[in-house]
Amino acid sequence: MISDFIPDGLVLEILSRLPAKSIARFQCVSKLWASMLSLPYFTELFLTRTSAQPRLLFAIEKRGSWSFFSLPQQYEKSSSSLVLAAEYHMKFPPDNMQINIRSNHWFPCVYASGLIFFYGMLIKEKGHYGVPVICNPITRRYAVLPYLQRYQMPYTFFGFDPIDKQFKVLLMDYPFGLDHHKILTVGKGDMSWRRIKCSLKHSIMSKGICINGVLYYLGETSADNPLIVCFDISSEKFKFIHRESSCQLINYKGKLGVIYRDYFANDAIELRVWILEDVEKHEWSKYAYSSRDNKFLAHFDSIVGVTATGEIVLSMADYRFKQPFYFCYFNPERNTFQRVYIEGLGEYQRRNHSRVYVFANHVEDLNVNDSNLLKSSIYAPYVKIEEEEEE
Amino acid sequence: MSSNKIVLTSSDGESFEVEEVVARKLQIVGHMLEDDCVINEIPLQNVTGDILSMVIEYCKTHVDEEESEEAQTKLKTWDEEFMKKFDIKTLLQIILAANYLNVKGLLDLVSQTIADTIKDYTPEQIREVFGVENDYTEEEEAEVRKENAWAFDEADTPKP
Repeated sequence: MISDFIPDGLVLEILSRLPAKSIARFQCVSKLWASMLSLPYFTELFLTRTSAQPRLLFAIEKRGSWSFFSLPQQYEKSSSSLVLAAEYHMKFPPDNMQINIRSNHWFPCVYASGLIFFYGMLIKEKGHYGVPVICNPITRRYAVLPYLQRYQMPYTFFGFDPIDKQFKVLLMDYPFGLDHHKILTVGKGDMSWRRIKCSLKHSIMSKGICINGVLYYLGETSADNPLIVCFDISSEKFKFIHRESSCQLINYKGKLGVIYRDYFANDAIELRVWILEDVEKHEWSKYAYSSRDNKFLAHFDSIVGVTATGEIVLSMADYRFKQPFYFCYFNPERNTFQRVYIEGLGEYQRRNHSRVYVFANHVEDLNVNDSNLLKSSIYAPYVKIEEEEEE
Repeated sequence: MSSNKIVLTSSDGESFEVEEVVARKLQIVGHMLEDDCVINEIPLQNVTGDILSMVIEYCKTHVDEEESEEAQTKLKTWDEEFMKKFDIKTLLQIILAANYLNVKGLLDLVSQTIADTIKDYTPEQIREVFGVENDYTEEEEAEVRKENAWAFDEADTPKP
């Protein structure tokens, strides 16, 4: 022992500032430490700290293989160079497994509270295409969920209920499809798909975003009735909110944010940010910002989130051969743009482009005990990525 | 009142004369002064002179915390440089002192610095630094390591 005795309170104060990976390693220090690190007092303190520093989790997909990375959502203002190194987590699926993407409109890769859901695992020996699978890209654990025979690929949504700490997968059928909507609670024991009803037939227009136990996505019953569909993960009830034309949904500091982009003559763009303050009363805070001659706002198709200081984060949709990859931060108050270049993505370039999936507001939560949920682990220190020869 | 001098004495008898505003950054001193405002010499039993001098250096620098972005950036840089001087052993003594003397800003700073320092430590290093006894049996430890295998990868970089 090289130090005086440090009281447990101080030890926990220090440990609450570590990444989840260090916490997992320090479970091995002693039984006493392992029990201390599982105390609700500690896991809540840890969650409070990590919630204040959300991360951008992103995946680069090439030919059905996803490489996961993360970096802080809020970049450090004082740093002079705006080049950040992304932290690499893992490649999924392992080499002996395969995920098929046959079309991209049913969102093959969706996120909720630290876990990623894929629809499209291929299990050749059983002749099953589109087997659902969940993985935790940080701990490298995964679980294959029960296969469900469908006529058509469903729209896939994934949500987390923070009260009961439960993950659920929702499969939505087409408005006049032949299948039923189905839901599954991810958990211990027998997992089974249950049928779920939705009172309003609607088309699905966007991927989902889960905020505080509610899953939101864009839908419409007809072109003149665009909606925001709200699905409560715990009660499994649908609600519908009217919206204006095309927009994007983001997590705006823990609330639903809706961003409308309106284009005017002379390259002027108006960005309207609506924040849902009260879902029952349909109360919104509304902000509008104008920008001119700004190719970022016009062409970046993906608004992924906002930072704690209110900057809007835009992402490139693709990672291209020999091109830099960057996120763009738009400060609506000052009307400024800041590019943040990302390094450490490895040799993923290929002559074509790889698709990028970005999930904002990723928060490490020790309460999500994934070893109960996800029984398999990719275990290999390095997951070898084959050299790509593209002609 | 602000020009009042206070003498702080460490457990090993070293004395430091500081301005009252600096001494008040140590909340333990602030409380004593509120109880009895004629005190001008304060013995601090749980902190040695060399550690106390570092706490005082921190308090002097942070005595007037300005709101401006520029001042904040400057202080942050100073904090970083200040923390670089210490090894893990000294950092742990500083955290004990910051806790005892109740200096909130320093407690936060040193907690974060220790966290950054021990982030990649092995369980063995943690046991040594924090004086923790390993009460796992060999089998139990192997099991818990297996369960947390992902946390033992050293270099997390994508390999081409």
